[in-house]
Amino acid sequence: MTRSRPLVELAGPCVLVSAVGIVGSFTSNATAIYFQTAIVSVAIVVALYVFVGNSGVLSFGQASFASVGAYAAGIMTVPVESKVGTLPDVFPLLRDHAIGNAWSFVLATAIGAAYALLVGIPLMRLSGLAAGIATLAVLEITHNILHEWTKIGPGAGLLSLIPETTGLLQATAGALVVIGVAFWYQRTRLGRQLRATREDPAAAQAVGISVHRQRLWAFALSGALSGFAGALYVHMIGSLTADQLYLELTFLSLAMLVIGGVTSLWGAVVGALLVSGVDSFLGQAESGVNIGFQLDLPTGTRLVAVGALMALTLILRPSGITGGREFSLRWLEAARLRRVLAAARPREEGS
Amino acid sequence: MIVAVVDAQNLVDALGLGAIYALMAVGIGLVFGVLRLVNFAYGQLIMAGAFTLAYASRANWPTWAAVLACFGVVLALSLIMEVAVFRPLRTQSPAVMLVATFAVAFLLQSVALLIVLKVQGQLGVPASAVAQLSRAVTIAGVDIRKVTIVSLVVAVVALGLLAVLLGRTTIGLQMRAAATDFTTARLLGVSANRVIALAVVLAGVIAAAVAVLLTARTPYVQSDFALHDTIIVLVGVVVGGIERLWTATLGGFAIGFASGVINGALPTDKSVYLPSALFTLVILVLLIRPAGLFARGRSSVVERV
Amino acid sequence: MSTAAAVQAPMLEVAGLDVRYGPVAAVRGVSLHVGAGEIVGLIGPNGAGKSTTLHAIMGLVPPRAGEVRVAGHRLHGSAPERVARSGVALVPEGRRIFAELTVEENLRLGLAGRRSRDGAAEDFAAVYELFPVLREFRRRSAGALSGGQQQQLAIARALVARPKLLLLDEPSLGLAPRVVDLVFDALAEIRERGVTVLLVEQRAQRTVAFADRTYLMSNGEIRLTLTPTDAADTDRMVAAYFAA
Repeated sequence: MTRSRPLVELAGPCVLVSAVGIVGSFTSNATAIYFQTAIVSVAIVVALYVFVGNSGVLSFGQASFASVGAYAAGIMTVPVESKVGTLPDVFPLLRDHAIGNAWSFVLATAIGAAYALLVGIPLMRLSGLAAGIATLAVLEITHNILHEWTKIGPGAGLLSLIPETTGLLQATAGALVVIGVAFWYQRTRLGRQLRATREDPAAAQAVGISVHRQRLWAFALSGALSGFAGALYVHMIGSLTADQLYLELTFLSLAMLVIGGVTSLWGAVVGALLVSGVDSFLGQAESGVNIGFQLDLPTGTRLVAVGALMALTLILRPSGITGGREFSLRWLEAARLRRVLAAARPREEGS
Repeated sequence: MIVAVVDAQNLVDALGLGAIYALMAVGIGLVFGVLRLVNFAYGQLIMAGAFTLAYASRANWPTWAAVLACFGVVLALSLIMEVAVFRPLRTQSPAVMLVATFAVAFLLQSVALLIVLKVQGQLGVPASAVAQLSRAVTIAGVDIRKVTIVSLVVAVVALGLLAVLLGRTTIGLQMRAAATDFTTARLLGVSANRVIALAVVLAGVIAAAVAVLLTARTPYVQSDFALHDTIIVLVGVVVGGIERLWTATLGGFAIGFASGVINGALPTDKSVYLPSALFTLVILVLLIRPAGLFARGRSSVVERV
Repeated sequence: MSTAAAVQAPMLEVAGLDVRYGPVAAVRGVSLHVGAGEIVGLIGPNGAGKSTTLHAIMGLVPPRAGEVRVAGHRLHGSAPERVARSGVALVPEGRRIFAELTVEENLRLGLAGRRSRDGAAEDFAAVYELFPVLREFRRRSAGALSGGQQQQLAIARALVARPKLLLLDEPSLGLAPRVVDLVFDALAEIRERGVTVLLVEQRAQRTVAFADRTYLMSNGEIRLTLTPTDAADTDRMVAAYFAA
């Protein structure tokens, strides 16, 4: 049973995400979008988890990598004819070329990784409060540049006409890829070394683990996955502004991670699906929904609910819904063990 | 070449903003000192005060009543925050506390948005209660808004009173000790609850005062009132050095003054990249001196590997 | 030693104290008592649980089980400030003085443990008499003091609270021999003034010779009680220390 435990840990999140995708495919087009959003959220939150969960360092900057990845994938997949008209000031390299869907993901991942590496080299020396503020600064700088620099994008305007290739299938496939990579990383020696630094940085350094380097690897990987998730996102929505992958997303993804459980992959997945579900349901309820009786919530309720959920989780159960543990079938093992023990016990009567 | 024009008017206005940010820095620094908690939701206390002023002015209350109500609401909310959020979190790690106050900030902001949309049907409420402070007087040929003068006076008086409280009273001494080493202070007999309550109340009073001043500067109150300011002040406080009250206050003042001067001095089209420049500077400072620009030596909260 | 001590109820009574740090049992079923006016020592090797015992008495760490009574009052489970105000003062390991405050401010903090401030001036005068160097440095920041001087400050700060029971956690740690003498002289003076003392120390021999009684603790448990006559018997001491 111990040998197959890692498989079980990976299977849990994968099966859950796939199940959500499958269920979503049976619903109407209007409802399917909520399932898609939930699955893309999983990708974003798992990308965040790869860094924050493994290193224990808070980062407000992953949305920048998602944003940059989204812009890269978006701009390069808008048909050239449209770009010449809508984005005349952009660099010719960007304006006069277009790439296919699959390549846009490669590009987004590469750019996310490169940007994260660039930013991470200086920043990974910081911890705690300084890291939080510094990564917040990165978020602000990225947003500022994307909002103003019209040579790399629409600036303050809307980037539209992006091919909407992310349906349930692409979303689910993408999320599974992100989960797979995250799982692989945390089981490698690199991942385990980083987790050691989370538990006790001094002890880890004493055995020769370079805290800076381990964090940098995770940060770069997280950047790559965030970029990838950004591409998933932009191909789902079909349009993009600088404000879309910014403060609200930062808050929501952190909320999802915390509510699910910061220190486990299972927590990231559960948190993302749960909060996204609640968010979608309440968003629907804000414009009126029938659940046996008519529910019509005032606008803004969904944000209140998510905020309250996050605050309550932190106060009452800081380790999250999953308690920060990976998915396991331990209860199944325990039941089996009990049966085996009961059968092996010598019978009292007749001995 | 960027030609920056800095004139007296700009300087004075920036001083006013610096004074307000210095006050906010004190509020944040006081709570941090005794609780080791960065209250991201501090801005929401100010927002609540601003909304109180807004609704009071809609109901045509006299100014003094509106201001009094503002103080009352902010103090009540501060104490609720202390009991419902800070106290249960006291045993948690700094990271959890950070994210928790972040969540509370978001929650309060969302609640405010909800209420405003439901009641007003629009995003914001105008607040005219303290509008007369927005008017300007001319001193030595410079147009100074009254609120700037009031801000400076309030800041100087408040900081002065605080210095006296901390330096010369017993409870102030206990607060200073608690901010350095809470456990040892407690085993000497210092009451944790009393010291914390005092810090929270003082921070609340300051937040209420800031609400009045900011509402005078910006008489339209939305649910994200003071959010931008709080983020800037937090950055300033960490850059200045959050461990000690005076370095935090200095950081808050500096960033407020700098923002005011730069914003006023640069022509609009050149200043679009100002946030990037500012935040790059922040990152540089944090890399060189993670404990803060004005701090001495290493700190215990902000580690560097 | 005060003969009245035997007649009065013990100033400190610890019964069946059990303290855990997570899964690790630091203190196991410890029972000890200190009579009024006595100086009782608590020695033992590193990690024996001596500091933890003091911390549990002071309310800094919650006991899993057991009782702590000071002058008959139940104090187990109380917050440290309540314990302090019940007349217990702790001189913590490593002094833990406030380096940025002045010597006088450090002393003033000690007043927080008292019920009333009456007679504070006399108490200050008394500690200045006991530790003259503090009077000399009283307006200087406490961080400017040497290790030995800081130890004196820590003891003075505790005394200013007029405690019924004084707890000391390894006061001689890291101090030069001359300064250690000073500390023990001060403790003798404190004994004269009728303050009850529980002294945790590493210097086994000196403590056993000095205190009225000394408990030997090892691995979270009290192994035996030694008296000053045992101090001369080095073999017995060594055997006790290592057998435990």
